[in-house]
Amino acid sequence: MKEVRYRFSTGFFITLSLALLLFGNKNATVVQEARSTLIDVFVPVLDVVSRPIEAVDSAFGWVQQVAIVFSENKRLREENAKLKNDRIKASQLAIDNQRLKKLLNVGEGQVNTIAAARVVADSDSPFFKSVLINRGTSDGIAKGQAVITENGIVGRTITVGNSSARVLLATDINSRIPVKLASRGINMILEGDNSAYPKVTFLPLGEEIAVGDLILTSGYGMVFPPDLPVGQVIEVDEKGIKIKLSGELHNLNYVSIVGYEIIRNQLTQPGRAGTALQEDQN
Amino acid sequence: MAVVQENKSERGMRGVIPFVSTLVLILLMQLQYKVAFIDTMFPSLSLMAVYYWCIYKPQLMPVSAVFVLGLLQDILSGGALGMMALLLILVRVFIVRQGPRLLEREFLFSWLVFIVVGLVYGALSWAIATVYLKESQHLGTAFGHSLLTIAAYPLVVFLLNRLRQLLISESR
Repeated sequence: MKEVRYRFSTGFFITLSLALLLFGNKNATVVQEARSTLIDVFVPVLDVVSRPIEAVDSAFGWVQQVAIVFSENKRLREENAKLKNDRIKASQLAIDNQRLKKLLNVGEGQVNTIAAARVVADSDSPFFKSVLINRGTSDGIAKGQAVITENGIVGRTITVGNSSARVLLATDINSRIPVKLASRGINMILEGDNSAYPKVTFLPLGEEIAVGDLILTSGYGMVFPPDLPVGQVIEVDEKGIKIKLSGELHNLNYVSIVGYEIIRNQLTQPGRAGTALQEDQN
Repeated sequence: MAVVQENKSERGMRGVIPFVSTLVLILLMQLQYKVAFIDTMFPSLSLMAVYYWCIYKPQLMPVSAVFVLGLLQDILSGGALGMMALLLILVRVFIVRQGPRLLEREFLFSWLVFIVVGLVYGALSWAIATVYLKESQHLGTAFGHSLLTIAAYPLVVFLLNRLRQLLISESR
């Protein structure tokens, strides 16, 4: 009797697991909501448990910084002098850029930082690349928003609970991000393949790309604002074009969730066009 | 007589040690470790824990508990729902069938068996992920993950042995 019961329960749970694998992974709202609710329960626990690890990491970082403080100071002084010059040039270019955009009636994108969040968990699987953050719908986060750091792109939110959200990393096999070549503006797609170095695809025929070329977001798809740093080309061969991401996805502490929308300029009235341009030039 | 006393301790709060310890290991697997290599790949602690407890205390790690733990891991890691639940149940089925024979052997023997279990686990997880994602996955990654898990087994068993002592010492 005990043996029959054991066989039945084993068979039942194996069938249930198979059923979940086959039908539970569709984008059914019930499944997503149940997942988010359960994650909401565990995120505070993971948040607390991950604090000591972050403290140890910070301590190591502090020791490293102290060790290189003098050389770092010298380097930063030199960089600061160079950046001051660059800032003057950049402000002049920004004025020119704004004037030309007005002339062409180019839609301006508005970027809102919705929230800053702490990464509390990391998927440990070799086949699924995502992280959990401790902000959710109560902080204004919604599905499909861009997640970035000061270094570059991270990924986008895929499931959002009340106080937590899952971020699909740019390295995940399901991730597709519209990008462009920084130097020539050629549009491509950044495709994750579960390795640390995603690839870019859809390079137009006849166009060339070289190791060291910079990749930026193109702004297409309305998830990522344009011109965010994505990474650098590190390998070009028959297998594809590999990118080293500038956002260090293996070393995430805090991330920003940003919303992006295009606000089209008011069309200038025909009679006023010349006057408007004249006013701009003055 | 000793067995009867051990069973008594299993009925109390200490009876949940296998489940709780596996749950803690699953939570530890989710944390971010900013250490080179480990940051991208982490040994499957849940596989080791389920394997261990199914050898030594299968009655405290029933199929339902294994299913709940596997499902929780799937949810927390953002993986395919049901994948880890299925794999861990299969490990339990394998161990319970072989259990008494494994119990009689030394640690080295259980580690050797774990090498086979780890490699089969890697191959199955690769196959499921490939079917689920509809794209062939790097077999080398799955193999590397299995090897890392196999290498970490002695350390995790050392810690789980300490926990098992709690169950045994209570009965004395």
